[in-house]
Amino acid sequence: MASANPARSDELARLLGRVALQDRAAFEQVYRRTSDHLLGLAFGILNRRDRAEDVLQEAFMNVWYGAANYNPAIAAPMTWLINIVRNKAIDKLRSGKTERATTVELDDEAMNIAADPAQAPQQLFADSLVRTRIDGCMAGLAAAQRQAIALAYYRGLVHTEIAETLGAPLGTVKAWVRRGTDKLRDCLQAAGVSAA
Amino acid sequence: MNYLLPERLDALAREYTIGTLHGGARRRFERVLREHAAAALAVGEWQRHFDTLAAGAKPLAPSAALWSGLEQRLFGAPAAARKAPWWQTLLSGPALGGALAGVLLAVVVLRQEPAWVGLETAQEGLPASYVGLLTDASGKPTILASSRRHGRLLTVKLLQPVVVPPGRVAQLWALPKDGSPAFPVGVVPALGSGTIRLPEPSEKLFFNVARLAVSIEPAPVAAGAKPSGEFVLSGHCVKLW
Repeated sequence: MASANPARSDELARLLGRVALQDRAAFEQVYRRTSDHLLGLAFGILNRRDRAEDVLQEAFMNVWYGAANYNPAIAAPMTWLINIVRNKAIDKLRSGKTERATTVELDDEAMNIAADPAQAPQQLFADSLVRTRIDGCMAGLAAAQRQAIALAYYRGLVHTEIAETLGAPLGTVKAWVRRGTDKLRDCLQAAGVSAA
Repeated sequence: MNYLLPERLDALAREYTIGTLHGGARRRFERVLREHAAAALAVGEWQRHFDTLAAGAKPLAPSAALWSGLEQRLFGAPAAARKAPWWQTLLSGPALGGALAGVLLAVVVLRQEPAWVGLETAQEGLPASYVGLLTDASGKPTILASSRRHGRLLTVKLLQPVVVPPGRVAQLWALPKDGSPAFPVGVVPALGSGTIRLPEPSEKLFFNVARLAVSIEPAPVAAGAKPSGEFVLSGHCVKLW
């Protein structure tokens, strides 16, 4: 991930600066370097390739028109990009919920992903911490806290949906997310991974 | 509700960033986010923490059609080398002064110097026929838009940067004279200048248009859509000839 690698992050910030000046070649570079990762995130939330690709396309239109608003002093470039993509994916997921309630659709990709245990949200959570070398933070979080956070972050679920999925009371789920993210933040700050 | 109490802000920023804030509460917080730097900072902090979680997501290669579709939507057909239109040179920089005066000046120049127009015609076709000048809430000239009468390109020049929050776009709308609903024209760049491809020739699109306006939208809007919020910029759209 770019934000974990300062040199790559600097290069990406420089490219976004070029995009702000309407440099098409720089725009393509940003796309080539980040689209796999960003599409993976959108797909995790939407669980459908076509919808995830729509989100990615819209997100990159925003990148083209909005690169001038990117401020490297406030966010790492990958943080900025992830934020755009996740917000769009979450909006799309929620706007599509009423639509899906009336149309039953069997999606092969959706079936496959559900059957693949490596794509389970809690596994993604564990992999993330291993990849950023902060697996020590795992121990501080209860399994239920990790699960609740993972369902919110990777799947875009809201508290009531998480409660339904895990079969837990709403208040308990809210506390899991709150306390779990508190612990995660404290641990990341202690490990010097994300600055306060 | 005071969103900016530190504890409440931290809770909202956390829920917004991880995604559990939803519905009207999410939209309201997005408005707070646009208006208050403290909210943006609180969200920024949670984004950094949650970025760690993004590291484990499984990458997925986009189809080739995604990039070509993106190029098509953004740039249309490959852009031919394009000279700055005559009025841009005329009106650019400090010479602009009061911008409405600038538009009038262009009309005057056109009336008094037809030969000059003729000269331009020989070089690069007809000069702009439709010109719009958009000002911000304080009346400061912000965007100059122009198009040739039968052209399908609208040239947009920013006279000062437009503040567009991350993940949003500045959407240009045309407001018909007869009071019928505004229709979307395209997305304006945040600074500098650019062109917007028009769905129809300018004459057809702008003939009955009295004003142009810009709203901030989550994404470029489709035909038939309505502005989601108030206009941040607006101004007259005039036909020069």
